[in-house]
Amino acid sequence: MNKPVKSDKPTFFPYDIQQVIKKVDPARLIEALRQMLRIRNFETRAESAYQMGKVGGFFHSYIGQEAIQTAVVEVFGPNNWYTTSYRCHALALLLGATPDELMAELYGRKTGNAKGRGGSMHFFTERLLGGFGIVSGQVPIATGAAFSLKYLGKQTEVSLCFLGDGAVAQGSFHESLNLAALWDLPCVYIIENNMWGMGTHVEQAVSVSRLAEDKASSYGMKGYTFDGMDFFACYAGFSHVFKEMEINRKPVLIEVVTERFRGHSISDPGLYRSKESLKSCMQRDPILLMEKVLLDNGLLDEEAIKQMDKQERDVMIAAMKYAEESPWPDPLTLEEDVFAP
Amino acid sequence: MHHKECMSDTQLVELREALRQALDEEMARDERVFIMGEEVGQYQGAYKVTKGMLEKWGSKRVIDTPIAELGFAGLCVGAAMTGLRPVVEFMSFNFSFVAADQILSNAIKMYYMSGNRFPVPIVFRGPNGAAAQVSSQHSHCVEAMYSHFPGLIVIAPSNAYDAKGLLKSAIRNNNPVLFLESELSYGKKMEIPTAEYLVPIGKAKVIEQGTDITIVTHGQMVAVCIEAVKELRRLGIKAELIDLRTIKPLDIATIVASVRKTHGCVIVEEGHIFAGISSEVAFQIQEHCFDDLDGPLARVCQRETPMPYSRELESKTVPNVARIVQTVRYCVKPL
Repeated sequence: MNKPVKSDKPTFFPYDIQQVIKKVDPARLIEALRQMLRIRNFETRAESAYQMGKVGGFFHSYIGQEAIQTAVVEVFGPNNWYTTSYRCHALALLLGATPDELMAELYGRKTGNAKGRGGSMHFFTERLLGGFGIVSGQVPIATGAAFSLKYLGKQTEVSLCFLGDGAVAQGSFHESLNLAALWDLPCVYIIENNMWGMGTHVEQAVSVSRLAEDKASSYGMKGYTFDGMDFFACYAGFSHVFKEMEINRKPVLIEVVTERFRGHSISDPGLYRSKESLKSCMQRDPILLMEKVLLDNGLLDEEAIKQMDKQERDVMIAAMKYAEESPWPDPLTLEEDVFAP
Repeated sequence: MHHKECMSDTQLVELREALRQALDEEMARDERVFIMGEEVGQYQGAYKVTKGMLEKWGSKRVIDTPIAELGFAGLCVGAAMTGLRPVVEFMSFNFSFVAADQILSNAIKMYYMSGNRFPVPIVFRGPNGAAAQVSSQHSHCVEAMYSHFPGLIVIAPSNAYDAKGLLKSAIRNNNPVLFLESELSYGKKMEIPTAEYLVPIGKAKVIEQGTDITIVTHGQMVAVCIEAVKELRRLGIKAELIDLRTIKPLDIATIVASVRKTHGCVIVEEGHIFAGISSEVAFQIQEHCFDDLDGPLARVCQRETPMPYSRELESKTVPNVARIVQTVRYCVKPL
């Protein structure tokens, strides 16, 4: 069989780091770095809890992808509908879930984010519709949230849907984008292309190279590609999308190119990826890249970064303690809430 | 106009019109309620349930979709999570299979899985089961498959009165509801009240009184069982007939009360025999009525084949009056 002819590699949406620095309050940039450190520390500690046998089931780490969701929530703000895949720890943190409640959820405790019923793949907040376990299962849901906003005339909110490159090959992705474009629903679809659908490389799964730009045009939507390792690239790109959506309220498809540093899940040693390739992508660690920019521009010094990292580490260690000391769910509540009142 | 007609508080309607009245009344009552599906608007509904509704309510609330059940069913689950109360019409429940992931993984799990954050008030409705010679891929009975999963209410009305009252209750319920109609019954007429009424979810109904044996059934098979009960009367057997109306939650109390009186039961189901609704009803009867039974329970179900096209074969695989009568006679007077 002939290999399909691939389209050209995408070109990243142009951006200027200095313009972002000029435009954004330095305190917000420092806060964004803190959020990224928070995510990294949460994932690292949660992984160690998993290794200690405190956490069960599937566990998908967001390490390596922190810049993307941090930038999106910074640009769009928390007062929107959010939806994501099972790789959902970061988004819950960014939308205000506490490390305590999330860690307790991983430990399966009564005090957990979803009362110990959801686990690692199903985190929620008031505006986070989930953590969804089926690849692309969240894409119709996010489209429905956008439908609600339009139906109810909520002009200042949008629906933001995160999905992986693996979801692009699913039927529900196609059906959702067609409906969103057909009905002008205010939905931002963000493909976090981390190159791997479990152990299958994106080039072996999707027939075009530019996931957003090639697909979007077939729905009559706009498509963009951002560098997902660079917070400033994401910030600039999503700010552009934010402004466009304020005016046209139409759906848009975005590919953010990134690479996860861990296996698909905690049980995946990642044998399909060469050590060299992993090493080279880790040189573009989004946290290191952002730290460098903040250091070079004199917004922070090494010591402050160290302090921040330590504070977040301490928060996560305290969260592990909180989870450990939290009670198990009462078995008498097992059959509660299968139905809503 | 005759005086009697002026004072009349009932109306003669087809079942499809009873459903339309339920939708209409609930849309008037709550502006978050809308209906979405294939051909519900311009085409006036594949089975004319939504006839005239696009003109009345406009395209904001009567929404035609492309042929994309997975997409629009999932979209409506998302809409239900974010403040709306969708009614999804499947042109046929056979097409719900391509949307099953959104029903089973998302809609029915969400309230529990999210730690009570997101209820999903949504109704999936449309025709279920066999119609007239529509062959293998358009004749599925989906109730056994879907009823297996917790978090879903499953309703199957057999007449216009129940259809209207139960659909209104379904739309007001804060959980996912599967509302199973029958293509063969849309045109059936019945006198129903003109005033507003509700039929509660989860209540079966004894529709024929009897003392010799209980027959439990639901949906389209109710009409077949009514004929069978008449035939049994002629043979001197007084059968009590129960219409489940709601399959899940199952009203086992009504069934148990009847079986304790008649000491026997035959369950009739249009769907296949293996792991069907009848298996569940029978098992629950033996849990509650083991000492009350005079003999084994029996069931009449669809045979274990895909639905054949030929009228001659189709009539042999779906339960019919002759098979029901034969089975009841065997139970009442064992050989």
